[in-house]
Amino acid sequence: MTSSNTNATDEQPDAVTEQIIRRETHSSRAIPATIAAAIIGLFCLYVLLETTLKALGQDPWLASPEEAGQWLADLPGNVEPLMLGAASTLLLFVGVVFLALAVVPGRRARHSIPNSRAAVVVDAEVIASSLARSARTVAGVTPEQTMVTVGRDLVEVQLRPTSGTPVDREAIRTVLEEELRRTSMTPVPEVRVVISSSGVIGQ
Amino acid sequence: MNQTPRALNRVLVGVLGAVLALVGGTGLLLALMPSLHGWWNGFTEDTGQVLDNIFASTTLEGQRDSWLWIGIALSMIVLTILAIAWVSAQGKGRIGTLASEFSEEPVPGGITLSAAVAEQALKAALLERRDIVNATVSTWEFRGQPALKIRVHPRQGVGPYVVAEDVVALVTALDQSLGQRPPVLVSIGAGARTRFTRAERVR
Repeated sequence: MTSSNTNATDEQPDAVTEQIIRRETHSSRAIPATIAAAIIGLFCLYVLLETTLKALGQDPWLASPEEAGQWLADLPGNVEPLMLGAASTLLLFVGVVFLALAVVPGRRARHSIPNSRAAVVVDAEVIASSLARSARTVAGVTPEQTMVTVGRDLVEVQLRPTSGTPVDREAIRTVLEEELRRTSMTPVPEVRVVISSSGVIGQ
Repeated sequence: MNQTPRALNRVLVGVLGAVLALVGGTGLLLALMPSLHGWWNGFTEDTGQVLDNIFASTTLEGQRDSWLWIGIALSMIVLTILAIAWVSAQGKGRIGTLASEFSEEPVPGGITLSAAVAEQALKAALLERRDIVNATVSTWEFRGQPALKIRVHPRQGVGPYVVAEDVVALVTALDQSLGQRPPVLVSIGAGARTRFTRAERVR
């Protein structure tokens, strides 16, 4: 492949790479969509049954469309207020949950690493376990004594030192920042190291 | 990477959420505020009048019920089929062909490159490594062209940037041997197998 050819194809995949990264770092809403489709489908099937019985002049199964309409019109009077309130609250809650799922961005706990050839995404858990290994190597503690959480703009390290062995907070921070720089996460998160005051005995 | 209709998912989930929230909210208001009963009765009476007129005007001579019921039943069938189609559109897009080219010169004929070529080559190269627990490679149609998805599960504590660089190096080698440059997604993740296997301590 000639160099001019490489440059020409480099421009085009970049937009595609951006799209792939966006799709991989955001939820697809496939599960809420499936649940919504099931609700809509079951409702439609029930209405289909009742209207078909009505169109054929047969007796209704649960309630004919007219009866259902009349029941709705009589509403507050013909149901226990407590039952109506509870059922309505449930419907309202489910509706608000679906609305929220549709509106909020739905970011997944994943980060992208810039790369010229491929779209690279990393689960936050993998970054966390890599940072935890660096932190415990510097501090000289066991895996059980470190816990790292990786957020979008904050990396928090919680460390319980071995009793009697001092831990250098700044050294840990420097090593983790270097590791994050090599990972080239964007935006670069802030590093917070929390060293608990009580130590662990017998490690 | 798949062809899940994400925008459609969000729109339809949002519409269902809005409808459910509206119904639930109306019911809750009726249960809580007796002053609204008069408004509700007037509203349902007017609506019932309008519906009665529509059904009366669509009832043919000598028939007991309106033909509109048949129309409603048919539209419910269509809606149910659309709901099923919506569910089956989730997660589609896996393909078995990486590239195919047809040419009339020098002799008419075509070359088809199965996706298994790239998938097996990359998988075999990745599973040789000690620091990778598992790797899966699959081919998907993305924006009208084949794209490779490489999912890698590194051992706990392995730096994701190291894995990313090595996988991309393999992809570059594959580009050169195949003469194709498909879009590539490298997804580095953690799974049950990485959590329960030992962290790698010697590299």
